[in-house]
Amino acid sequence: MRSWSTPAEYLVWGAHCCPCPCPSGHTSDPMAAPLEMYCWKGDWGLPSVDTDCLTVLAYAKFAGAPLKVYKITNPWRSPTGVLPALKTAEKSIGSLSKPSNIIIHLRKQKYNADYDLSAKEGADTLAFVSLLEEKLLPALIYTQWVDSKNYVDVTRRWYAENIPFPLNFLLPNRIHTQQLERLRLVRGDPTLEPGEQLEKELYHDALECMTLLSQRLGSHKFFFGDSPSSLDAYVFGHLAPLLKIKLPNGKLQQHLNSLDNLRQYCTNILLLYFPSEGKEPPSRKVSVHPEGSDFDSEPHKRRNQILSVLFALGSMLGYAILTGIVSIQQVQAQPALAEPHHVDERGEEDEEE
Amino acid sequence: MTLMLSVPLTLSNFSCYSPVCIDSSHFIMSLAAEAFVSQIAEDQILLSDCASSLAVQAYLRMCNLPVQVSYRPNAEYMSPSGKVPFVHVGNQVVSELGPIVQFTKAKGHSLSDGLDDVQRAEMKAYMELVNNMLLTAELYIQWCDDNTAAEISRPRYSSPYSWPLNHILAYQKQWEVRRKMTAVGWAGKNLEQVYEDVSQCCQALSQRLGTQPYFFNKQPTELDALVFGHLFTILTTRLTSDELSEKVKSYSNLLAFCRRIEQSYFEDSQAGSSSRGYSKGPSLF
Repeated sequence: MRSWSTPAEYLVWGAHCCPCPCPSGHTSDPMAAPLEMYCWKGDWGLPSVDTDCLTVLAYAKFAGAPLKVYKITNPWRSPTGVLPALKTAEKSIGSLSKPSNIIIHLRKQKYNADYDLSAKEGADTLAFVSLLEEKLLPALIYTQWVDSKNYVDVTRRWYAENIPFPLNFLLPNRIHTQQLERLRLVRGDPTLEPGEQLEKELYHDALECMTLLSQRLGSHKFFFGDSPSSLDAYVFGHLAPLLKIKLPNGKLQQHLNSLDNLRQYCTNILLLYFPSEGKEPPSRKVSVHPEGSDFDSEPHKRRNQILSVLFALGSMLGYAILTGIVSIQQVQAQPALAEPHHVDERGEEDEEE
Repeated sequence: MTLMLSVPLTLSNFSCYSPVCIDSSHFIMSLAAEAFVSQIAEDQILLSDCASSLAVQAYLRMCNLPVQVSYRPNAEYMSPSGKVPFVHVGNQVVSELGPIVQFTKAKGHSLSDGLDDVQRAEMKAYMELVNNMLLTAELYIQWCDDNTAAEISRPRYSSPYSWPLNHILAYQKQWEVRRKMTAVGWAGKNLEQVYEDVSQCCQALSQRLGTQPYFFNKQPTELDALVFGHLFTILTTRLTSDELSEKVKSYSNLLAFCRRIEQSYFEDSQAGSSSRGYSKGPSLF
């Protein structure tokens, strides 16, 4: 799930990033057990389908942090109950879920992708992450979770197919409601309804944000020179889902495709840092793409069919038994009560029959 | 065409700013709102609204646009987006700095025309930084710090209303802001962490500003107006503790920056109007 937080400690860059004076107090030793991370599983050629998970995964790759990544589809199996989550070695910290906190933690373990940034570049990182969170993230949430066609055809479908039973009936709708509520609160309008007006406003901001990012990136390979930093992880995390997940209502995607350098930038990061995911899509795409997904979803479909038939049978039987018991009990109770009036009635009925 | 900026009843700090009503077609100054502002006895405006209003005022002054500030207890309910400040021009009402900047641009007044593409991207990013961190921190301190909420925010916010409406509206507002903090992931933070965030934000702004007079060379942009609005308000507003302003005060180039804008865009009109009976309020230095 997404957080809208500001990575406040972003300015802890530079050589003295590590606040702990003792060199031995860290698990930067390559022999130490790798940190465990829980993420949404990937699809559509992405290492993960979720923006926050992508951001953290990309940062870990950029910084060279050896993570043991569990790609799961049940957020209840994560130590924090949401994804992503990083299990830390220190008991006092426990598990972290906010991307900014995870990145800060990795940085404290000396996995720092922002080592070479100047103070001004660190300030720029903070500013552009704010820009992403204020302008692009609301539109991203809208297009994935609120826009009814996209939500029903792609997002809910994917999550319902991948989340294990019985959570798959519960979680997609719950995330949908949460995200809509979040948009309402962030925009400060409690009566906000999904519709053209809202879409227009959100998309206007998002398109502008993408254009600004494209202008800032220019012809560079990464935002700050030749090596990726945490800002690149954030930008990649926000743009890659837009680029790869094919949505029926794809205005944001169209705009991103028209910005050649940004599109190329995302594709490059995928190729360079997630080569195994890049190879997968041809085979996966066929199986997961809506057109070809009949075979893939067949077991689920069959199971759901059986379950719904069982459920219907059960409820009918339950109703029948419930009403049936009442009548049976009446019949059985009548001799015990032995009220003359009832006996008379029975007698009358018998006579009628 | 008259630009009218509506904000709730003001802090004493800013009620002194001469409300200048200028017919923008001729740039003629008049003082239509003089009586209105001086009559205000009660203070209603809060730090965050005050900062946003000052930012818009600074922006309009930088654009050389005439502005008449009017203080209304129900400004929040008059605004199309529910947020203050808003400007009222002819029959159009526009609220908040972003849309106001677009609006003035459509009318041919812009401060950021001289910037190249990269600079414009950076300017927008830093504006979002201020909104994302400073504004959120101000809201947090106002409504989520129990001391500040009980001693300052709720009494001030509800001052125009009588019992029981005052309590209902103040708690409703507090509840709304707290839910918003949950949505943006700030609910788990404590006051110390929020001060730390403010400090980080100021450090970023200070780094970016460096030794330049304005954020982008010698000309002010809307970013300068926004940063000035927030920092100046933080510096001149007394809260339950002065930790917030202390955080800003540790960056000397930001202090000099606030003073520079105050002198160039606010003190001239002040000096001009003081002869007409305006008293100068507390300034930075």
